[in-house]
Amino acid sequence: MIMQLGDCRFDRERGTLTELSRDESWHLPRAELQVLSLLVEHQGQLVSKYMLKIGDGQHPPLTDTSVARAVFMLRSFLGTRHEGLIETVKGQGYLLQPLNGNKRKYVNYLRLQTIPLWSVLVLFGAMLAVSFFYLYQIDHSKPTQALMSSEISLASGENVRLHLYANSNTNNLLLFKLGERLSAGLTACGQSDWKDVYASLSHDKQVLNVTLRGEKLGQSVIRNIKISDFTQPKEFIDATWLREVDICG
Amino acid sequence: MARWLKWTINLVILTALITACSVIYWKLMTNRTLILNCSSELFDRHSHGNVDGKYYLLVDVLIAANNAQVNYRYFNFDGTSAGTISMQGKVEKIEANSMTYQIAVQTKTESELEKHKDWPEHMKYLSYISSLHFNVSGIHNLSIEVLDMDDTKDYAVVLFQPSNTVCGCRIVNSRI
Repeated sequence: MIMQLGDCRFDRERGTLTELSRDESWHLPRAELQVLSLLVEHQGQLVSKYMLKIGDGQHPPLTDTSVARAVFMLRSFLGTRHEGLIETVKGQGYLLQPLNGNKRKYVNYLRLQTIPLWSVLVLFGAMLAVSFFYLYQIDHSKPTQALMSSEISLASGENVRLHLYANSNTNNLLLFKLGERLSAGLTACGQSDWKDVYASLSHDKQVLNVTLRGEKLGQSVIRNIKISDFTQPKEFIDATWLREVDICG
Repeated sequence: MARWLKWTINLVILTALITACSVIYWKLMTNRTLILNCSSELFDRHSHGNVDGKYYLLVDVLIAANNAQVNYRYFNFDGTSAGTISMQGKVEKIEANSMTYQIAVQTKTESELEKHKDWPEHMKYLSYISSLHFNVSGIHNLSIEVLDMDDTKDYAVVLFQPSNTVCGCRIVNSRI
């Protein structure tokens, strides 16, 4: 089996590692061959120190020092650009990075195991509490938007904003019609102190609420009108009534 | 330093932080006050072209800590009382993003029941809807959302739900 490792070619049958650019061939000693063969065999996976020492079991096991030295020698031969191909997993063993170039980050599970179980449970509990708090306490509300907002231009050059509010986006024909009447009534004023007009129909369509807000002599003024209409068809407001209540302010 | 000691110190600090945050949050929640006064002109129409009734309505909204009180006072055109509805309850939730107060009304008192048929239509409607809710669930839930407000000019335009009522109010006190 021949395979490429950085700028080197590894021939497992012959037990050689060849640096292609220098055309330098290294006949691997037993420790280096055993270590590299195992790492290639389990490429991308952690190979424990124990496994590296034992090898195929047909030879006497290597010592820790022999394994460490073999890795050092292999890295030196691979060169500084590719020495990272053999990664040390602290306290556990070594890993040969996969050839596709995606460097694999190995999780040190042994180290994780040293964290006491109760601290993991406390952390989990805290995360659960934060999630619970977020779901139930954090404000997810959004301000209610007007169903329709329009600007009415008066003869005096002033503008009055009309906002219609409904608790549903459907079945608002009557509200739109009343909005048009209000708009016509305000346009007829020619001039007005009102800056904003808010209108809404109660959920049973029996009460029309109109709020007018503006400024008079530098003072903020507000007026609320609520009309309950039980006639059929409902009119709520007409031109005469608008004049009567002095909608122009 | 022993590991158990380090963890104990960490846990004590964490507990102290959580307690401090909870106290600050609780203080903020209980320190909220909103007092609004909303006056309205009421017009009742039973026949085309005529206004059959004309009244005034004063609504006082008082929210302090978790308590809420909403008083509706109705007046005839000549200034005499046409009835009152007083509601007391708890603030269930304050939604800061939409500036909405969710209120659960637990009790209400209505005046002059014997004059029910002379009540303004608005009062009849309010009495009917709240009684309906009380009969069904024992609670009348309502929300008050501030649509627009200016502290410097002491006004707020609010939206009452579920009645879908817009109303302009004077801000008497506001600490949100």
